[in-house]
Amino acid sequence: MDMPQEAPAAFRTSAFRTSAARPGPLGLVAEALHEVRSRHRLIRYLAQADLKKKGTDTLFGNVWWILDPLLQMAVYVILVTLIFQRSVPDYPLFVFAAILPWKWFTTAIGDAIASVSGQDRLIKQIKFPKIVLPSAVMLAGIAQFAFGLIPLAAMLVLMYPARISPMLVFIPVVAAVQFVFTVGLGLLLAAVNVFFRDVGILARHVLRLWFYLSPALYGAAVVAEVGDSQPIIATLMRLNPFYTILESYRQAIYDGAVPDLAALAVVLIGSVGLLLVGVVFFKRLEPAFAKVL
Amino acid sequence: MASGNGGSAEYAIDVQGLGVRYNLRLTRKTTLRQSLATIVRRGEGERTFWALQDVTFRLVQGESLAVIGPNGAGKSTLLQALAGIILPSAGGLEVRGKVSGLLQLGAGFDQELTGRENIMLAGAFLGIDHRDMERLAPGVIDFADIGQFIDAPLKTYSSGMRARLGFAIATSVDPDILLIDEVLATGDQVFRVKSKARVLELARAAKAIVLVTHDMTWVTEFCNRAMLIEAGHVVAEGEPEEIVRIHQEHSEASRLRKAAEAAALLGTDAAAAAALGARPPGAGAL
Repeated sequence: MDMPQEAPAAFRTSAFRTSAARPGPLGLVAEALHEVRSRHRLIRYLAQADLKKKGTDTLFGNVWWILDPLLQMAVYVILVTLIFQRSVPDYPLFVFAAILPWKWFTTAIGDAIASVSGQDRLIKQIKFPKIVLPSAVMLAGIAQFAFGLIPLAAMLVLMYPARISPMLVFIPVVAAVQFVFTVGLGLLLAAVNVFFRDVGILARHVLRLWFYLSPALYGAAVVAEVGDSQPIIATLMRLNPFYTILESYRQAIYDGAVPDLAALAVVLIGSVGLLLVGVVFFKRLEPAFAKVL
Repeated sequence: MASGNGGSAEYAIDVQGLGVRYNLRLTRKTTLRQSLATIVRRGEGERTFWALQDVTFRLVQGESLAVIGPNGAGKSTLLQALAGIILPSAGGLEVRGKVSGLLQLGAGFDQELTGRENIMLAGAFLGIDHRDMERLAPGVIDFADIGQFIDAPLKTYSSGMRARLGFAIATSVDPDILLIDEVLATGDQVFRVKSKARVLELARAAKAIVLVTHDMTWVTEFCNRAMLIEAGHVVAEGEPEEIVRIHQEHSEASRLRKAAEAAALLGTDAAAAAALGARPPGAGAL
């Protein structure tokens, strides 16, 4: 049988394999890029399988992707407006604009952490680029985020039509920055979790704390208030990439304003750096996965 | 013997002084605490383990090599190294041509996807172009013979059906080198006959096969070379009948040794029981 001209890496006639040194950081990044490109179909199949699994586990299936953020919003609205008696105009929309992307972030990170260590049998039996595993689940996360935009649109149209503005076009821009950051962190944690399962447990708590330190339930105004008495803490809070990311979503969705593009650009540059570190780190550790799992 | 043939271009597999070392500090679901503890107690105990050492052999197209040996001898590690799943820690190896490394049947299957979708998924894992896989799919479905179930999710399959589908995929991708790990024990009688025929067909088509098995009839009937591995070392290599004979002698010897050990343990138990005196039988279990 004639093989396609460009046989994929797994099938190409191999050179003498030894324990010789691996390529440098740039070589690893190039390798990862090639792997993701040449295995895009595998990534797609895996992402589809992931979405299918999440949809079939429950009675309501994919409807949960819409209901879940709404219910979470309801919890926070009750907590903040009834118990803490804080009054922010149109608080449901205010908090939903932040909960939706945050939920995407935590789900993607959690799935990425489990993606490699959960496929131990597979990794020991087939040679394939392991980077497809976290990539696939994080791509699948985008679909869940997109589903969450449906209730957001419904809320805007039915409850807050006055807040609809052309600034909504900035949502995909902010989402792109968030995605780069998520993939970088996800790759890093997925690789470490193969060696130390503590990462998965620790991540849950760190993410929860991170959520409360990010302007999700409260806005930039509260951070400014903190700054009046404790300027250092306020500065640290602003250094959190999710300060910029969540504030940008809120500006586009709730305030109908142009997000702080300069701050967003800084986060993007940092996220690209994190992504490069994540890729190199993942590729460095990859050869040991089959032995350790 | 094939290893005497000249011209290195003929080799499908060339293994030179292959060694695979495991780092015991990192294997087996460690937590940070355990590994910190071992780092602190550095030097205490063995921290590495050689699963394979000094393995050297060459295989030409058309040869089928059976790898036999007791459990934990390193047979599967050898296959993993040949498939490129793990890198050698010492020495090196070269594998020329397409490798079908479905070491165990059904690796890469997803429970929620249908049989048809799983064929495409497994093909994607093996790195086969999806157009080729679409062309191969009817043959795979036909060989696996799972009827209407091909469009049902994999979780509804019996283990036999899963094994048949896995075998059909592994052998239909037309590999130059086929690596098989204990897959032939699965499936019913009819499928066993069919799968034996398929492997023979591949062997005739000048493919190189490395087979890890405990089924000695396979070794003598279908392999033209055999290799005995014990505790990570190649103990013997050559004609299948000869190697199987050595393996059986060795396993008989170790069986007798274990039987003697067990008898000794039972003996001490019996002595202990006798010393306890007039207790009714069964009371000792408390």
